[in-house]
Amino acid sequence: MSFILRRISTTKTGKQIVRDQPLPGDAITLGREGSNVIHIADLAVNPHHATITSADGRHVRVQASEGLGFDFNGRTVDAADIDSAAGAELRFGGHRLTIAREDEKIILLVERIDELSQSSKDVDEAKAFSLAGVMPGKRMGAWVFGVLVLLAFLIGPIWAWYSYHDVDERPQGYHADQAWLSGPLSSAHKSLTNDCQSCHVEPFVAVTDKACVGCHTGEHKAMSMAHANAPTAMLLAARHPPGVGERILAGFAKTFNKPQGRCVGCHTEHEGAGPMPATPQKFCADCHDGMSARLIDAGFKPTVADAADFGTIHPEFRPLVRPSPGAKPMRAMPGKGALVDYDGLKFPHDLHLQATGGVARMAASFRGRYDFGNKLECENCHRVESDGVRVKPVEMERDCAMCHSLAFETVGGVTRTLRHGEPDQVVADLMAYYRSTPPTRPLQLGGMERRRPGNYAEGQVYNIYFREVAVRPNRAEDAVRAVFSKGGACYDCHTIFAPQAGTGWRVMAVDQTPRFLSKGWFDHDAHKETDCADCHTAARGSKASTDLLIPGLRQCRDCHVGEGGARLVKVETATESPCAMCHEYHSDGGKPWMPARQRKVNSAAITNKPLRATYGVSMVTGSAERGLYDVTWRTPALHGARRGG
Amino acid sequence: MASLFQRRRSKATQTERVRERRHEGFLRYANFRWAKISGGLCLLIIVSYALIDVTPRPNGGSWYGYTLGTIGAGLILWLTALGYRKRKMTSDHWSLKAWTSAHVYLGLSLIVIGTWHTGFQLGWNVHTLAWVLMMLVILSGLYGVVVYSTLPAALSNNRDEMTQMQMLEAIRAFDRQLHAAAQPLTPQDTAPVLAALDEDPFAGGIMARLSGRYPDCATAAALRALGASRSSDAGAREKVVGLLSQKEVALARLRQHLRIRALLEIWLYVHVPLTFALIAALSAHIVSVFFYW
Repeated sequence: MSFILRRISTTKTGKQIVRDQPLPGDAITLGREGSNVIHIADLAVNPHHATITSADGRHVRVQASEGLGFDFNGRTVDAADIDSAAGAELRFGGHRLTIAREDEKIILLVERIDELSQSSKDVDEAKAFSLAGVMPGKRMGAWVFGVLVLLAFLIGPIWAWYSYHDVDERPQGYHADQAWLSGPLSSAHKSLTNDCQSCHVEPFVAVTDKACVGCHTGEHKAMSMAHANAPTAMLLAARHPPGVGERILAGFAKTFNKPQGRCVGCHTEHEGAGPMPATPQKFCADCHDGMSARLIDAGFKPTVADAADFGTIHPEFRPLVRPSPGAKPMRAMPGKGALVDYDGLKFPHDLHLQATGGVARMAASFRGRYDFGNKLECENCHRVESDGVRVKPVEMERDCAMCHSLAFETVGGVTRTLRHGEPDQVVADLMAYYRSTPPTRPLQLGGMERRRPGNYAEGQVYNIYFREVAVRPNRAEDAVRAVFSKGGACYDCHTIFAPQAGTGWRVMAVDQTPRFLSKGWFDHDAHKETDCADCHTAARGSKASTDLLIPGLRQCRDCHVGEGGARLVKVETATESPCAMCHEYHSDGGKPWMPARQRKVNSAAITNKPLRATYGVSMVTGSAERGLYDVTWRTPALHGARRGG
Repeated sequence: MASLFQRRRSKATQTERVRERRHEGFLRYANFRWAKISGGLCLLIIVSYALIDVTPRPNGGSWYGYTLGTIGAGLILWLTALGYRKRKMTSDHWSLKAWTSAHVYLGLSLIVIGTWHTGFQLGWNVHTLAWVLMMLVILSGLYGVVVYSTLPAALSNNRDEMTQMQMLEAIRAFDRQLHAAAQPLTPQDTAPVLAALDEDPFAGGIMARLSGRYPDCATAAALRALGASRSSDAGAREKVVGLLSQKEVALARLRQHLRIRALLEIWLYVHVPLTFALIAALSAHIVSVFFYW
């Protein structure tokens, strides 16, 4: 029985040199220490690791000695019995011990199979020293990210569109194409946020008016009357020549099939939450700035003057007036003499607005009974409509009769008045009055004392009285005439036509124009912080009711400037005014729509004159003795423009 | 005619020589030609944006937005083509240096082109995603430019005229010596040495690479363990401890080298994949605009 230790070394050329060495003794010790029979210079091997013995020269027993076992057939064991004829491989640290049998001898082959250290292993320099060893590849990352983005933001949204392309209304919830939403929808369309297809019906087809009209049935005309009636050639000729930018935009639009003149051209969406923004001035000015020249060049007759910016280029107002008594209302032509408007009344504004004189004294005497001050103010006679927009037509009974009384008799404390507006009734009432009432009976005719003859003589009381009684009905004619003639109650205010064949007394019809500026919108309520006379400047000096007291462009421009602040005159309180502040596009003559956040006037300067409302005491609270000065101040400067107009 | 070309070519060669001599990098290529072009472009965009009154409000859908968007999309594709260009050897005027210089400066101008294209309307959507990805790509590229101009000096100082394989070879040498010197040690002491030998110098994830901190370093642990141990022969242990500390120094140099290289390379792992994510998002952005036109 003998053990042979076989060592194999490899030359540089790859040749193997095998050396066999017979080992003395029956028990072969194996370990790191030099005293062992088989010395393995391996730190993973114990100094005295194992003992190899064989009882019969064929079967080998390997016994670990210091608790650290060895690997046998893949398992760590402390002892193993091996038939050397069958052979076996044992592993001690980084070494392999192969047991075999050759020529009745047990061959022990010891080889280092592991590298000495981890760093001794071969490395791929390009990979090991760069990040490629520890990071997923760039190419891989590019593919993963690219595909993920395409799936989530291209395939997903298209799939969402495809799934619902023939559905009227999408179910609630998230749809992948919401990732395409370029900006929040306006508050009116907020509910459509997850239903892109409600407007974007067909892919690659720009939003059509049909999509708008699908919901907006009726209340929106496609165009204002003025524009709808104009020939297309005229509308095209009105447009200003495109600049570089617009040519680029038009090029894009043409190339990618985005027709112009759709609803969304002006009503832009995806511009942010909140109300849809009002159409800016430029959409009007694009055509109306310098339009008449372009129209004339193209052979059309312009019917409106050029307008580009309220502060600088805007035609003078053309209010509806009656140029002669009884004429039909027509639009005034400014610049051709003074503007007159025959409404059929005689009313000197100057007389009524004087601070002194008979009217003022009469008004002052009525203080307490009516809301008069020391003199008459505009609002004493002119009342606004309940919505505050316009001024009501003047009504005799309500607005004049405080002073201009038509009373003619008191019966038992009740005052009888002539019927206003019905001249025939007035005549009849006066006739009846004179017929039914005797003249006042003289005192001398009363009593029971004896009457002496002679009193019937001409010039005496009886004679006077009874003659009066006899002729009294004829006096009615005179009274009627007096009422309708100069100095009479009717004549002061009205133009009277004397009776002709077949007609009685006639009063000229009164036509009070309810709205002078029919193309623009003016809201008195929005201007109620302003004194009437600030705008109606001519009222105080007006001697005749034919004077047109409608303010002109000049008065508006005292406060209103262009959308961008452009102005021709010095302005203290600048209100930036786009076209849409006064002009409504779709429903001619209606109230222009304006988003709530813009209803607050964008004032660039603060007037130096404090408003009366800011320091007017509206109420004194508390008991009379104490806390007299606890006052509630009126909210300052709540401009009516906030509420529209 | 031929002589004319020859003269031009020789002049070009001369200019090139001067550049080589002065080591003109891609940043100062041709006296900052592309920096000037790109700066001028940005200035033009910013000034014209302020001057041009776009209706109804500035955004990508105005004519100005379309123009900037078209320029930006084209630029993104051209910038991406650097990856193709750098793999292709050519000898014409568009040297790789010129191309890289234009890539860097035009890429930076994309910050202005892209941002002004948005009209400063941003939101949670694919359009803003494309913008964010673009900004990330640009910022990572900006980081790359900065580290390329600052870190190579540190890399050179650290390697101390060694190649990186020489650094590794030094560690291997210490490992062999350690292995031999540790033979007399007790099993208790050999275990930490063995662990130190078993340690892969390239181990550690991306965070270890970038930070250069290896708290679980087996060599350092072995050094601590053997310093405290009393079990083996003092002389042998001392020798091992000396070798371990030498290995630690060599390992530290290698790790510093790896760290600087990681800092030099990491931006590309953001720059390149996000570029392709950006191109995907850009495609989705453009398709979405025309799909829901």
